[in-house]
Amino acid sequence: MIDIDKIEKLAALKLKEKEKKAILNDLEEIIHYFEILKEVDTEDVEPQIYTKEACLFLRKDKAENGLNKEDLEKNKTLASGNFYRVKHIIGE
Amino acid sequence: MTITDLPISSLINKLRNKEITAREVIENYAKNIYEKEENIKAFISLDIEKALKRAEELDKMDEKKGLLFGVPVAIKDNMNVKNCETTAGSKILKRYISPYNATVVKKLKEENAIIIGKTNMDEFAMGSSNENSSFFPTHNPVNYDYVPGGSSGGSAAAVKGEEALAALGSDTGGSVREPAAFCGIVGLKPTYGLVSRYGLIAFSSSLDQIGPLTKNVKDSAIMLNAIAGFDPHDETSVNIKKEDYTELLGKEIKGKKIGIIKEVMEFNIQEEIKEELNKTISTLVKLGATIMEISIAHLKYALPAYYIVAPSEASSNLSRFDGVRYGLTLQGENLTSTYELTRTEGFGEEVKRRILIGTFALSAGYYDAYYLKASKVRKMLANEFEKAFETVDTLLLPTTATTAFKLGEKKSPLEMYMSDIFTIPVNLAGLPAISVPHGSDKNGLPIGIQLIGSWFKEKELLQIAYAVEPG
Repeated sequence: MIDIDKIEKLAALKLKEKEKKAILNDLEEIIHYFEILKEVDTEDVEPQIYTKEACLFLRKDKAENGLNKEDLEKNKTLASGNFYRVKHIIGE
Repeated sequence: MTITDLPISSLINKLRNKEITAREVIENYAKNIYEKEENIKAFISLDIEKALKRAEELDKMDEKKGLLFGVPVAIKDNMNVKNCETTAGSKILKRYISPYNATVVKKLKEENAIIIGKTNMDEFAMGSSNENSSFFPTHNPVNYDYVPGGSSGGSAAAVKGEEALAALGSDTGGSVREPAAFCGIVGLKPTYGLVSRYGLIAFSSSLDQIGPLTKNVKDSAIMLNAIAGFDPHDETSVNIKKEDYTELLGKEIKGKKIGIIKEVMEFNIQEEIKEELNKTISTLVKLGATIMEISIAHLKYALPAYYIVAPSEASSNLSRFDGVRYGLTLQGENLTSTYELTRTEGFGEEVKRRILIGTFALSAGYYDAYYLKASKVRKMLANEFEKAFETVDTLLLPTTATTAFKLGEKKSPLEMYMSDIFTIPVNLAGLPAISVPHGSDKNGLPIGIQLIGSWFKEKELLQIAYAVEPG
């Protein structure tokens, strides 16, 4: 039922065969457990995405002090000057 | 009584009266850390030197201001503390240096708390035992052979082991309350939206909430006073009037209506936990409260609904860890293989399992059957709680069905997920809840009693928690 190769690709993971087999077994057990929800009649029920009181708001479109470039640079991995340097993605 | 035995208000009084210095406070906690940390392993990173320096600065202040003046606090390692490493318990974030402070950290600092270190946790807060930390498991200070609970297990162990006076944790499905119960301390999960999540590494955005772990209920209220409040940087933050959460502590609870959830008793609960629950009921009756039976008919569906919603949101939230901007990077032949190599190497087994569950639940053809269905069940549960709170003030139930288990004891993921059975419904509904220690089992392992309040009724919830708190 679970196309593990497809899911793995969507999740940007590349598992070793042994790991994949173990995780697939767990996944099947867990997803089988989810079947219990089929007992619940949810006809005409609105889904709840956020909780009761939370109402998303927007901030005013006003510039604020952002993060320091120096602070961010402490974590540079693929950074190069003001840019991140990654392998080309066009024409792959 | 030693300095590390003192709760927050007594410690601050002694500091204000100049009976002790902030430096002495940190030195005493540091002594405990040097003696116990080897066995407990509560911290991923510690900076005692920095804490001592800050203590000396506080000692020089003429006015000893701040709700947490000189209080040594530990922070779960999924909250940003500027210029400190923040790993979320994952090797994918090893050596990540926070470029800013989380709002809660900023607030603690403004109240003159002293940050002593960052605590161990299940990787990305996914776990109930702290065994999913990428680095090492934390041990329960009550008995080192047992888990401290999770995912805020390091925070709970640090407080129980008196390595910090208070700590912050995050609670997505019980991650503050379950470790508090397992370690025998107080853990509070506030209403969703009361405490800013800005600077907390997201696991499941519609469920995550930051809360304090403390020695007692009063300390919990003081910590909540410090960290609660509207924050425009968290778009789910709710703008409500600032309250004093200590205000009702010690006020009589006569006439309060306490609900016992009928369906909870259908689960297999350790006998000694049932006994402590009954003792709590007797205390409440003696104090003049009325006990009522309440039905939350869909309670048993909370766990499967949660394990669809939380991994789905996690699969989306964790997509940011791709090796480009921060953390671990493993270069592949192209950008896609860089992502795949980095994520496969950087994430631990449970994190990968949950990302895959979530990706599956959100994938084409399955969305309606899983995520949408779970979101509807979630709505039904929230509605049932809302109805319950029309009748009662607070709900009373165990925090966990068992006391702490041994390290390495639980093997299957599903078995581990069951540890959160009584805490998860609270997060799905966004309610506030608190775990209060109440007795122990025959092995001396602590028992936690849970109280659930209505939305934003923390003041009343803490009042009842204070009334049932032993000793």
